[in-house]
Amino acid sequence: MRAMSQITCGTCSREIATSEGYELNGKVYCEPCASTALQVAKQSGQPANIVRLVDKTICARCKAYSGSLLEVGNLRLCEPCAALVQDWPYPQWLKLSLAGLCVLLVFALLHGRKYFAAGKNLYRGEQLIEKGQYPEALKYLKETLRIAPESDKGALLTAKAALLSGDIDTAANALQGHNSGRFEDATKPEFLEVKNMWDRATSSMDKLKQAATLEETDGHEVQAATLVHEAASLYPQMPQLQLIVDHFDEGAAFSRKDYDNFLRLAEKDWNTSPGGATAAGLASALACKFAVTNDPAFRKRSEEMLTKARELSASDKETTAVLSEYEGRIRYRLDSRQVITKTEYDRKFHKGKDAAK
Amino acid sequence: MFFIPGQLIALLTFPGVIVHETAHLFFCKMFNLKVYDVCFYRFGNPAGYVIHENSENFTAQFFVSMGPFFVNTVLCMIFCTAAFLPVWELKVVDPLAYFFYWLGLSIGMHSFPSTVDLTHIWKAAPGLAKKGNVLAIVSLPLAAILVVLNYGRVIWADLGYGIVVGVLGPIALFRAMARL
Repeated sequence: MRAMSQITCGTCSREIATSEGYELNGKVYCEPCASTALQVAKQSGQPANIVRLVDKTICARCKAYSGSLLEVGNLRLCEPCAALVQDWPYPQWLKLSLAGLCVLLVFALLHGRKYFAAGKNLYRGEQLIEKGQYPEALKYLKETLRIAPESDKGALLTAKAALLSGDIDTAANALQGHNSGRFEDATKPEFLEVKNMWDRATSSMDKLKQAATLEETDGHEVQAATLVHEAASLYPQMPQLQLIVDHFDEGAAFSRKDYDNFLRLAEKDWNTSPGGATAAGLASALACKFAVTNDPAFRKRSEEMLTKARELSASDKETTAVLSEYEGRIRYRLDSRQVITKTEYDRKFHKGKDAAK
Repeated sequence: MFFIPGQLIALLTFPGVIVHETAHLFFCKMFNLKVYDVCFYRFGNPAGYVIHENSENFTAQFFVSMGPFFVNTVLCMIFCTAAFLPVWELKVVDPLAYFFYWLGLSIGMHSFPSTVDLTHIWKAAPGLAKKGNVLAIVSLPLAAILVVLNYGRVIWADLGYGIVVGVLGPIALFRAMARL
């Protein structure tokens, strides 16, 4: 039960709690009388500073009566309130919540380790792309996609790095393996950039396939070379691009009987990319030059290059098979000094063989 | 622009209110200021408060008033960082990540000190700044920005701030980490 000091209203003599009283010009009032007294004071030109009374036996904080109040700052407080005000404790639920949150945070950080790694790889890949280091970027981005295949950004960056590295298969996997090729926002510049690259790359591949088909038939070498040049300009990042272009240009030069140009291109390819195929190409060009000049130096070098081509292709069955067919034509050229097309050669020799069978 | 009552926003983002008031209390205790009453959260306006004695010490005033801004901002960044990658960049469906993102944004949204808190700084800082008090000099533009942002709450400046801290903060952090 609350005990408190009381006062008597100077007008109506009613007893009220001190804390409910007011003081005006030295007299104490209850609330209704204070209001009237204030109006009277204002009308008569007296000071109108009304003050609410403070019960010095009641705690200013909890309003409970206390025989011994402590002065804390400007307030009189009971002992428990004074202790509370001096050092307000953190509630138990707050401490427990904070502890729970810390535990959850630690768990989330541990649980999210793989995401941090994936994210780090994503940003690393992005930075490497900005620096133009596409194959290096691809290594990091592939790791990101392994953990987060749904990431639009990851898929687009992987496709971009792959396309700019000439790796169309990885780009296709990244794009088509991502939500069946669906992206959140197909109007985003990042998406449009990759789409544009992808369209150019696939169009380039189509042109290369057409060129390869044309190359198989005599008389279309120039047309095939034109297609390959178009393919190269659409997708300059294509791997071994220059070799492919040179290979078709060699075919076009051969068909125009421009053996000097054929030899120049074949020499260039051999020097830049020594291998069984380029050695055979050079042997072929040298054989053409021998056929038209009868210069034994060309013949000698052509035979040396054929030997090199065999040595370099020994471990590659596919190239060895192609070379054995190619070598026959080159040998015919060297022996007969006649330059004939593959179709003419096949008609002349393979038809007979087939018939013999 | 759509209107959602402040009490509903406070309810949806109540952890931020609790953290904000806890930060006030923490700095009051740190500077030995008397605390007369604390409400960590209530369905009302204001959603929480700490009533404490005034201090003549500007450093105490600064930290008690601005403390929640720093504490909420840092916690927003930490919680959002824990969740940023799966939610925003990697698009991984991870409930815990979404929980942490909500928590982070809720805390970030309640970073701004109240106008009353800023008024204390605003009144005391100019005089002290003239005397060369570095904290007062620093606090003036900060308080000015926060006053403007506080008024911007009607156009969701508080949510905007939470998103900026919770998205741009982790992006900056992870980009920096990727360079290491």
